[in-house]
Amino acid sequence: MSKNQKRVLKLAIVFAVMFGITPAANAMHIMEGYLPPKYCIIWGAICLPFLVAGYFSLKKTISENRKSITIIAMAGAFIFVISSLKIPSVTGSCSHMTGTGLGAILFGAGAVSILGIIVLIFQAILLAHGGLTSLGANTFSMAIAGPLVSFGIYKLCQKLKVHRHVGIFLAAAIGDLFTYCVTSIQLALAYPSETGGIAASAVKFLAVFAPTQVPLAIIEGILSVVIIIGLETYAKSELTGLGFIKAGEK
Amino acid sequence: MVKNVILSVIFLVALILILLKERKYCLRKCRANNHQHGASHKHGEWISIDFYSYASQIRGWNPVFKVSFAVALVILCIVLDNPYVSLIVIIAMAYLTIVRGGLAAREYLSVLMIPAAFIIISIFTIVIDISKEPAGHFNLHMGFFYIFTFKAKLEQGLLLMLKVFAAVSALQMMTLSTPSSEIIYVLRRSHIPKLIVELMNMIYRFIFILLDVSAKMKNSALSRHGYCDLKTSWHTFGRIAGNMLVISLKKANAYYDAMEARCYDGELVFFEEYKKIDKKLVISSVGFLIFLSIFPWITI
Repeated sequence: MSKNQKRVLKLAIVFAVMFGITPAANAMHIMEGYLPPKYCIIWGAICLPFLVAGYFSLKKTISENRKSITIIAMAGAFIFVISSLKIPSVTGSCSHMTGTGLGAILFGAGAVSILGIIVLIFQAILLAHGGLTSLGANTFSMAIAGPLVSFGIYKLCQKLKVHRHVGIFLAAAIGDLFTYCVTSIQLALAYPSETGGIAASAVKFLAVFAPTQVPLAIIEGILSVVIIIGLETYAKSELTGLGFIKAGEK
Repeated sequence: MVKNVILSVIFLVALILILLKERKYCLRKCRANNHQHGASHKHGEWISIDFYSYASQIRGWNPVFKVSFAVALVILCIVLDNPYVSLIVIIAMAYLTIVRGGLAAREYLSVLMIPAAFIIISIFTIVIDISKEPAGHFNLHMGFFYIFTFKAKLEQGLLLMLKVFAAVSALQMMTLSTPSSEIIYVLRRSHIPKLIVELMNMIYRFIFILLDVSAKMKNSALSRHGYCDLKTSWHTFGRIAGNMLVISLKKANAYYDAMEARCYDGELVFFEEYKKIDKKLVISSVGFLIFLSIFPWITI
């Protein structure tokens, strides 16, 4: 082994140790200052139509029934608190749910886009997760792409008459995985690999974040099902109010 | 350029040392908390940021000034992309938060270290490359393939780390000295739609109500062996989350009635302290921003 190789090996060992001591598996919030200015603006612009649509749909809901404003605000607070609760785990590492998949199933994908951006702002201000310049990219991956996929899969499973709990598991888990893929692609677009370009870079990011994100997606799916089971047992009337269980079902 | 690399490496080593030390401290703190009763355990990093922002000695500065100063600094950091600018920003923000704001250095570091894991992993990913042939300046044979990197890539990664920390510390200067309600006030002043500001105001208040609820439920679950093993604790977690939704819906109705009873007609108006803009402060910060933006051209 040459001197250089030894040096790299040492560096790799340091990083392996770092992985070992910081198993913090948060949802992948892109940090403040990480993206070049071009991408901050592009992702913000991509989010805009979704946010505008979400804003108008919210406005319509509220003008039809003023009372719904507190329920919508509570839904936002609920998503925030769910995402800030520590998931119980064996090693004592800190992992959190994203909560947006569950939010999309319960409240619909349209409402989650606006609630999602507000929750992301509070996560940046109160939890130091994410940032203001990366808000556009984070909003797209966590408040738009992920919830849309979750909602779509949930509806699809309903159509195909898959068991409701399986559908919820799939919706929450795949929505989470999709968020992680979108974030990896966002990172790869901003920092393409020297030899393989954007695709190679995307594969690298996917591989590096897989050990934390894949188990997290499965846990998120399981927990979403447990939450829904709890709700179905104790709070049928509230769920009917949200439109989750159609009147007369079950 | 060698200077840049040395600078960044020193920074990286310091970072790792701080991280290790911080982790030990956190573990000890967690253990101490577990030995006490659970009631004191409802705090996390996030509540502490809210708490510090109210306790900060520079809370009296005008919030519009603070927010625009922080945003301008973040934008300067990512547009200029210069290691010296980043370093100056890191030092200046530490000075503002620790010396002027009166926050303990240890607490400041622990807040700054929250995103460290993500930063280090993602920068590591940018720096390395994988291929079947040893193509870079540094190659590591892994059996079937090589992990390799270039000197330029290493340098890019280290500079990126400096930049991210500068931007994060500028943001933290804002969040650690400006309570959320004042930040929302600034957003309203900048003509964000009224409905969204309204929702933000409510969500901010509801977050603390729900956190209180969840802390209470967690306490009672703990006292009934709700977390005795992993399977039970997942069940408990799910039940708490589900219950929380039910309670939040019930409370939402009650709050609407309460607001209605106080003549709510679509606008929440809060008392806002008028904070004078300190002219000296504005002049010196604008000077600082101008200095930073011409800095790259002076040094070359």
